[in-house]
Amino acid sequence: MAMKWLALVAVVFTGALLIYGVSDFPDWGSADSPANGGIEGAGRSVSQTFIQETKPLTHVPNMVTAVLADYRGYDTMFETVVVFAAGMAIFAVLRVLKTVDGQHSRVIRDRSVDGDHQRIIVGTTCKILIPVIQMFALYVVAHGHHSPGGGFQGGVILGASFILLGLSDGMETAMERLSEGKFVAMAAIGVLIYAGIGLLSQFVGRDFLDYGALQPLLGTPDEGWARSHAMLGVEVGVTFTVTAIMFAIYVNLASKGELKGGL
Amino acid sequence: MDQAGIITIISVALIALGLLFFLGAAIGLFRFPDFYARMHAAGKGDTLSSLLVVLGFAVYQLHDFDFTFSTLEFNLQSWKAWMFHGDGLIILIVLKLIAICAFIMITSPTCTHALMDAGWEDGIEPELKEKGANALAKDIDG
Repeated sequence: MAMKWLALVAVVFTGALLIYGVSDFPDWGSADSPANGGIEGAGRSVSQTFIQETKPLTHVPNMVTAVLADYRGYDTMFETVVVFAAGMAIFAVLRVLKTVDGQHSRVIRDRSVDGDHQRIIVGTTCKILIPVIQMFALYVVAHGHHSPGGGFQGGVILGASFILLGLSDGMETAMERLSEGKFVAMAAIGVLIYAGIGLLSQFVGRDFLDYGALQPLLGTPDEGWARSHAMLGVEVGVTFTVTAIMFAIYVNLASKGELKGGL
Repeated sequence: MDQAGIITIISVALIALGLLFFLGAAIGLFRFPDFYARMHAAGKGDTLSSLLVVLGFAVYQLHDFDFTFSTLEFNLQSWKAWMFHGDGLIILIVLKLIAICAFIMITSPTCTHALMDAGWEDGIEPELKEKGANALAKDIDG
């Protein structure tokens, strides 16, 4: 009970801080706000700066993806951490670590008589489609720094292809391809790739996630290409985490945390 | 009539036909008597109409396409220009739309089948002329 009151006090305090912060905002739709009119003396507004400088500074034709992976790289990194934390929370809530052997909460359906025709049609379709889906996922990831797409979307598609394998051919078949040890490691490696690229630019002597510093390491002609390539790198990290967590959520929900039997 | 006009007419005809089948599928979904008949209407109508609509889009992309290939010559440079800056880009979009068609054709019937199978395993009885244990077998035989 005391914890509940403590939580309420914390929530009210945070809310009050946020509302207090709102009072410092510029007026709604104000032409002089930093986003629209620019800071006095600086000349350009924030959006104008992005529109004019994104392409020459990062070689990324789509400025939205450049803002996502480069200018607000911190935000995207912690979004990845949020996905990772969500997966770990699912794991903590659902995963049953001690089970009696041979006693599953869900009976594996006997497919020998009635299920065969279903298995042939759905199984064959999935067998044709899963490689195509995974190829498309990699395409979306590879375009992450260049056009709409990227790690989150590609990761979800890649995770969905594993879920499809689990749905069509049994969860244990999918678990053979992507076992628990592998997907937990993958989720952590994804965050590590993202933070590692950030740290790498710090080792070179610049700010965290300042990808331009990686130019000598990547051997690119200028800093813009280094930023472009590093963006692809962090997108790959995001993909690892999102894929693993998507699949982790599915297997934990489908088997009530036992990772046996399943749907 | 010029090329753009003909292409537009063909594509509009395809899209209109697709919408007609969509209408049929929607009416079937509401008016057919039982689960299986409704799924049959939705599965068939949806597949064909989506195919026709997407195919209509694909045809519409060709309204600026140079069917005489006048810019294309037998050398690498002109081929590159055609592929990456000219009509090749239109072909790329058309191929993507055709790929979507292929995927709809594979997945939509499978999806309908899986839903129907789930319904059958769940024990939804089809509505037949004659009720009873072997009614389905009799209905198929006679």
